[in-house]
Amino acid sequence: MHIVDGALSTEVIAGGVVLAAAGIGYGLKHLEMEKIPAAGVLSATFFVASLVHVPLGPSSVHLILNGVAGLVLGWAAVPTLFVGLLLQAVFFGYGGLTALGVNTVVIALPAVLTFYVCRRGIASSSLKAATMWGAFGGALAIALTTAMVALFLTLSGDEFIPVAKLVFVAHIPIMLIEGMLSGAAALLMIRVKPELFGTVSQGA
Amino acid sequence: MAIKTTLALFVVTTFCLSAMPAIAHKVISSVYLSGNVIEGEIGLSNGEMAVGKKVVVTDTSGQLLGQTVTDAEGFFVFKPQGPFVHVFTSNLGPGHVAKSEISAEDLAEIVSSGGAPRPAMPTSSAASGAARQVLSTPQDTAALAAMIRAEIRPLRRELAAYKEKNDLQTILGGIGYILGLFGIGFYIAAVRKRAKE
Repeated sequence: MHIVDGALSTEVIAGGVVLAAAGIGYGLKHLEMEKIPAAGVLSATFFVASLVHVPLGPSSVHLILNGVAGLVLGWAAVPTLFVGLLLQAVFFGYGGLTALGVNTVVIALPAVLTFYVCRRGIASSSLKAATMWGAFGGALAIALTTAMVALFLTLSGDEFIPVAKLVFVAHIPIMLIEGMLSGAAALLMIRVKPELFGTVSQGA
Repeated sequence: MAIKTTLALFVVTTFCLSAMPAIAHKVISSVYLSGNVIEGEIGLSNGEMAVGKKVVVTDTSGQLLGQTVTDAEGFFVFKPQGPFVHVFTSNLGPGHVAKSEISAEDLAEIVSSGGAPRPAMPTSSAASGAARQVLSTPQDTAALAAMIRAEIRPLRRELAAYKEKNDLQTILGGIGYILGLFGIGFYIAAVRKRAKE
């Protein structure tokens, strides 16, 4: 899912850095003190989730879990996921440092969009409905991420439709798996810690 | 307060760790001098090699020098065009680009000697004198060089695979960094809050 160094044109890299920096700044403003520990744990979860590979035909895809981060943190997911991406680039060599800005946008923007789409649903009083919204959010974030990857690769010269199709199809199993994981995570969080989503809807 | 959630998420994290024999799916490529040609190999870190992929060769300014194609084992060969940096780029599909380069110093020797394998140095030390006696003809030297290359190829591959390996220490170190960073963030937030009060 990470876009590697060298696959992007210079303008796209610069654009990605600017967008990511703006997002991180805005996200840090919205990171309430109470959410910092949750943000840290979600960042670590995202960091290791990328090591869980799902074998798929000749290739393999890995978990991303940006949906959960978005659901819990909203805009604060941007700096959170950025930290995870930075350390993945440094430790595992995923993506690379020049593509870091673009990768932040590719991973974190879908998380933020998921937050806006699902925040009402996940704060629902019905446990079942909230779980379903959590699952939907997890899958939605991946779908949006594939679209972002395709978009950035297109801006760097690839054809949009074939690339988008390829990336999207390759990630359908991931969408299913992350949907289930996010649903389970949402259910767990609502049971043990309902304020995590509740404060979000009150604050909005 | 967030302890329960934190614990819950930590369980997920540990679960991820335990289910983790995976290797990163990323592009590995390397080029090296092999006799009087440049040899290279491209593959993915899951052990799959890039078969039949076009490799474009340019100099540092992007000027096209030529192109070649990888064989069934992900290998390619290219004859150097001069004593300057050669950049090898291959597009393996969306988001996967293999890029590696060979330095000008490496190429300077073979280009200046007219494309022939490096002859024994005319300067004499005891060791090189002995080597010259054993390897009397350039053909012998070339054959021996080819043999050594064939021998070290699997080692090279293993080394590349080893470099890609993410061991538990790396992962735990990364998590440590993350927790540390958020700890600093928490500290700063606490200091600010106290200053306000």
